[in-house]
Amino acid sequence: MGWAVTQTSSVPPAAAASAAGGTPRPRRTRPRRPVWPYLFVLPAIAALGFGFVFPLFSVVRNSFFAGTFYEMQYVGLGNFRQLFGDGVFLHSLANNLRLLLTVPLMTVLALLVAVVLHDGVRGWRVHRGAVFLPYILPAAGIGLAFGALLQFNGALNQALRGIGLGFLAQDWLGSQHWSIWSVGGVVVWQQLGFGVVVFLAALLSLPTEVVEAARLDGVSWWQLQTRVQIPQLRSTIEFFVVTEAITVLSWVFTYVYVVTGGGPANSSSVMEFYIWRNGFAQGSVGLANAAAVVVLVLAAVLIAVYLRLRRPPDDEGGVL
Amino acid sequence: MLGHRPGRVAGLAFAAAVAITVAGCTASSPSSGGEASGGGGDAEKADLTYWYWGESDAPGANDWMKARIAEYQQQHPGVKINLVLQSTDTLIGAFTTAAQTKSGPDIATQWATIPVLSQAWAGAVAPLSDYVPEDKRSQWIGTQENTDKGKLYAMPMYVIGIPLAYNKDLFTKAGVAEAPKTFDDLLGACRKLKTAGITPIGMGNKDGYFGAWFFSNFGKQSLDSTDDLKKAIIGTADIKDPKYTGFYEPMHQLKANGCLNDDIASLTLDQGMAKFGSGKAAMAWGTDGIINGWAKQLGADKIGITRTPKWGSGKLADVYNTTQSSSAFITSWSKNKKAAAQFLTWLHEPANLSSWYEATGIFPADKGFQPSSIKDDLGKQMWDLDSSDGAVWLENYLPPSVDGDGNLAGGQVITSGGSVKDAVDTFSKAVEKWRSQNPVEVKNYTAWAGQ
Repeated sequence: MGWAVTQTSSVPPAAAASAAGGTPRPRRTRPRRPVWPYLFVLPAIAALGFGFVFPLFSVVRNSFFAGTFYEMQYVGLGNFRQLFGDGVFLHSLANNLRLLLTVPLMTVLALLVAVVLHDGVRGWRVHRGAVFLPYILPAAGIGLAFGALLQFNGALNQALRGIGLGFLAQDWLGSQHWSIWSVGGVVVWQQLGFGVVVFLAALLSLPTEVVEAARLDGVSWWQLQTRVQIPQLRSTIEFFVVTEAITVLSWVFTYVYVVTGGGPANSSSVMEFYIWRNGFAQGSVGLANAAAVVVLVLAAVLIAVYLRLRRPPDDEGGVL
Repeated sequence: MLGHRPGRVAGLAFAAAVAITVAGCTASSPSSGGEASGGGGDAEKADLTYWYWGESDAPGANDWMKARIAEYQQQHPGVKINLVLQSTDTLIGAFTTAAQTKSGPDIATQWATIPVLSQAWAGAVAPLSDYVPEDKRSQWIGTQENTDKGKLYAMPMYVIGIPLAYNKDLFTKAGVAEAPKTFDDLLGACRKLKTAGITPIGMGNKDGYFGAWFFSNFGKQSLDSTDDLKKAIIGTADIKDPKYTGFYEPMHQLKANGCLNDDIASLTLDQGMAKFGSGKAAMAWGTDGIINGWAKQLGADKIGITRTPKWGSGKLADVYNTTQSSSAFITSWSKNKKAAAQFLTWLHEPANLSSWYEATGIFPADKGFQPSSIKDDLGKQMWDLDSSDGAVWLENYLPPSVDGDGNLAGGQVITSGGSVKDAVDTFSKAVEKWRSQNPVEVKNYTAWAGQ
C-alpha cells in the first residue's frame, strides 16, 4: 500500500485513457504522510533506544574487548573462549540449570496449595496471605533470616539434632555441595506465594458449571482436580513455568548475594552473580559483557518458548 | 495478567539492566592516569562528599568521623561535608562504578596499596602530595603503602595490626601454659583445648576474609620481601610454587585437626570472631580495634595477644603485620580538591589524633601521636607490635580481582572441606585471569613492581 489512484472512477485509469484516445499515463502520486504522529512516538522510540537498543549494542560490542572500566583492548572472541574455559562460569551456568529443577517443584507445590485453598479451607484468605507474605519480604531480611537459620549450628540443624535427626544436619551454607540447593530452597520458599496467588486467581475464574456437573457425575476429589480443574489451568501453568524458568535463569542474583555470597569458593555462583562479580567487583568488564550475552541468548530462548506456547493453535504466522 | 511483574516475562529487562549497568560503565573514554585536574577550588567554600569506611577495623570510627566533621564545619562555615558510610562488600565496586562516571565522592576510601594505586592508575585519584605540604605529609606513617613514582595518593589515618588473641582462662583450663610461638605450638594448643572440650579457634569464612587474613599472616612467612609476591603476580615466578601458595597447607592442617570452629564456613568473619568475644573460643585473630572490644567484654586481664605463630622460613616470617588498612584520597574529578586536602590534613591535628585514639583505641598513623598516652597494658603490647620494624600486610599487594577470585575463594576451598591442590588451583587461575583480563592494570602493576 501507500500508493493511491487519483481518479475516483471505477474504470481502470489505463483503460480510461485508452478509451479517451489520449496518451497520458496514469498519474499516481504519493500522498503526504503527516509528520506529527511520529513526534508523539518519538519519546517512546528514544526511551527504547536509550533503554534497550544502546545497552544491548554496548553489551555485545564490549564482549569483544578486555580491560577495566577505563581502558579496553579488542580481543575478538577471546572473552568467549575464556568464558567457556573458566570453571567458575561453567559452574555458574550449571547452577542456573540446577535451579531450573526448582520450577517443577514450586509449580506442583503452588498448585497443591492453591487447590486446597480453593476448596474452601476455613480462613483461606488468611492462609493465602501467609503463603504470599514471603513474596513481598525484602531480600535483605530474607538473607539475614536464612543466614541464621541455615548456619551449621543454626536453628534448622539444632532442631534436627534436637529430634534425633542429627544425621540430616548439613552445613547448608558452608558446604560446596549444599550451598546452591540452599539457595534453591529459598527461591522456592519465596516464589511459592506468587504461584499460589496466580493459580488461585485462575481457579476462582473457572466456570462453576463444569465442576458442579463433574460432582453430579460422582467424581472423586482427586479426579476433580486432575481431570477437570487443573487441565483448565493449562495456560496459567505455562505462564508460571516459563516466568519462573526465566526467574531462576536471570533473577536469582539477590538470593545468591544475600544467602551465600556466591560461596563457598564460588560453589553457589550463578551467571548473574558471575557478571556482577566480574563487571563490578573484579573489573573484568569484557568478560562480564560476554557472560551477559550468553545470559541474553538463554533468556531469549526461554522467551521464544513462552511465546510459542502462548500462540493460538490456529495462528500460523508470527515472528517465531 | 495477574501477578505479572513488569518486564518479567519479557525477560529482556534483565538484559537491559545488565546492559545499562555493565555497558554504561564501559562507555566513556579512558582518562590519563592520576593527574590532578582543575585548580582545586576554594578551600573555604565547598560542598564535599566523603565516602568513608573504617568501622569494621576500628569500632567507634564512624561516630568519631561524624563528630570531627561537625567540628570542622563549625570552624569552616563555608565548607559542608556530606558523610556517606560504605560497606565492606561494596567498597571497591561502588567506587569503581562512581569513577567510571566521574561523579560521586570528593574524598573516598579504599584499602591501602593496590586497591588505592589501581584507582590512581585508572585516573580516578588526584595525587595528595600535590595538595598537602611536605612538612605535613612527613608526619604521616605508612605513606610508602600508597606511593608510586614519588607521588603520594592517599592519607593514612590509623595503623592496625592483627595479633592472635587468646583467652587466658581457657588456656589455663586446658593446660596450655603459654601463647603459641610456632605453628607446632599452635597445633599442640589446639589438641589440648579440644581435649578439654573447648573450641580452639573461632573464626568465620563465609565471606572469605578469614582466608584473606590467613594469606597475610602465614603467606608472607615464606617470602623474603613483598617483591617475591609481585614477581609471582606478574608471572616471572610460578604462583603455584609452595613459596607463594604453600600457606594453604597449614590452613588445611588447622581444619583437619579440628582447630577451627566447625561452623567456620557458614559464618562471616565478624560472626566467627564473636565466638572469642563471648568466651566460646580460646583463640582468634582480630584487629587492634576488635581486640579492644573483646577486652571490654571479657576483661582486659583475661586476654593475651601474640604474633601469628611462626610457620615459614622467609625473612618476612619475623616481621609483624601492621597496615594503615584503609586510606583516604581525593578523587580526580573533585572540583574542591583544596578543601578536601585541607580537611584531610586537619584530621591529623594533635587534638584529632588524641580524640581518634580515645574513640577507637587504635593508634593514629602520625608521628605526632605520643605513645606515652597509652595507659593500658594491652594497648602497650599492641603498640610494641605495631611499631616494630618492617611490618607488612601482604593482602595489600594483591590486585583486587586476585584477592577476591583467588585469595578469598581459595581460603573458602579449605574451610569448606576442599583440598590444598584445589585451593592452589583457585588462586592460580585467579592470577591468570587477572593477567588476561586487565592488560592495562598488569602493565601498571609491572611498572610499579619494578621500581
